[in-house]
Amino acid sequence: MAQIVIDQVRKSYGALHVLKDFSLDIADGEFVVLVGPSGCGKSTMLKILAGLAEASSGTIRIGGRDVTDLAPGDRDIAMVFQNYALYPHLTVASNMGFGLKMRGTPAEVIDRRVKEAARILDVEHLLERRPRQLSGGQRQRVALGRAIVREPAAFLMDEPLSNLDAKLRSICVPRSERSIKGLA
Amino acid sequence: MRQSLATRIFLYASVILTCAMLIFPIYWLVVTALSQPDQLRQLPPKFWPDEPRWSVFGKILEERPIFLWLGNSALAAMGAVTISMVVSVLAGYSLSRFRVRGGQSLGLFILTAKMLPATLLVIPLFGIFRMTGLIGSMWSIILAHATLIIPFTTWMLKGYFDTIPRELEQAAMVDGCSPWGALYRVILPVSAPGLAATALYGFVLSWSDYAYARTFLTNAQGNWTANLGITTMKGEYISNWADISAASILVALPILAIYLFLERYLVGGLTAGSDK
Repeated sequence: MAQIVIDQVRKSYGALHVLKDFSLDIADGEFVVLVGPSGCGKSTMLKILAGLAEASSGTIRIGGRDVTDLAPGDRDIAMVFQNYALYPHLTVASNMGFGLKMRGTPAEVIDRRVKEAARILDVEHLLERRPRQLSGGQRQRVALGRAIVREPAAFLMDEPLSNLDAKLRSICVPRSERSIKGLA
Repeated sequence: MRQSLATRIFLYASVILTCAMLIFPIYWLVVTALSQPDQLRQLPPKFWPDEPRWSVFGKILEERPIFLWLGNSALAAMGAVTISMVVSVLAGYSLSRFRVRGGQSLGLFILTAKMLPATLLVIPLFGIFRMTGLIGSMWSIILAHATLIIPFTTWMLKGYFDTIPRELEQAAMVDGCSPWGALYRVILPVSAPGLAATALYGFVLSWSDYAYARTFLTNAQGNWTANLGITTMKGEYISNWADISAASILVALPILAIYLFLERYLVGGLTAGSDK
């Protein structure tokens, strides 16, 4: 885990100013939640952090590195999307190992880390299934596993629990927190 | 209740009538092919020949180079579809994902190109192919068919890519893919049914072309496509319609086989499960 420094980030779409001089320091290992009404810029800020959107001005530093102009894949971050965005043509195991495979990690290392993350999230029995064969809660855990396996400098999660029912949510919030903090 | 029954009868009758109208030409084609040539114009018409002449198919295969024609049609179609798919995957993806200044105008321009019939373009294309020495070569119809297919396939693929959530590419990029990598490793595999359906559509467009083949390949008998070959069976004064019908059936069979083979790949739902 690493420190994140967001410095005076602005984002405008033409005349619409979504983010106005937003600054935030996140300490190493800290668990931060952005809350706010719809349309206030939470997802936008998250996308800018991830490199999926460009800030109109300002800088982002992760682990002491200026990542403002870096591609998402070079920022050493992992993201869990609101709609999970699991790769439908790959098995759960391949989904979770995809990021490591893109980085040229040896197959044995990928296999070990995927199995370890699957054990933590209790999805070991699902490794050979496709996303369409999973329930909502299982998909959420696989999406989380895909992020955990990467052992990134930072985790970004865009409303990962909004698609779960209340009962699942009450289980998943503490479980997610434990998993992430366990890695920190 | 009574009204609903009347409506249902009306609907069923309309559907049956429409199907009958659509199937009748195919049925009549088969009847014509199997009839003796001198019995084709008799009144009242026979709805099935007394002695179906099944040997007509063997006769046609012996007399005419049907397999050569089919091979040429297939070669032209595969070449045209390959070029078209490469171009329209990139174009369709760009139209779907990127907001570029002038992008919408470019999209509309491609759309209007769809409306231009082959008979309009055949003369300028002839001029171009004559200048480049391609008249009579298979490349002339491969390229000409590609110009026919690309506007259709670009828009079909644009529509298909629009249905794929952007989060998939975003997840791939966070995982370390470049934009090209995300397209190649994630979007294309996920789009397989859409790509198959689009390629099939392009294949049929190429297979059904007559204008370009007639204009560019007339003097190159070895390169005749199936449509062109069959047309030459029509005589100046007398035509053996039974033979022509039999040849038409033989030429339609490969497309039918392809449709039957690819049907299961055209079933959508490959993206099912990628999101909630």
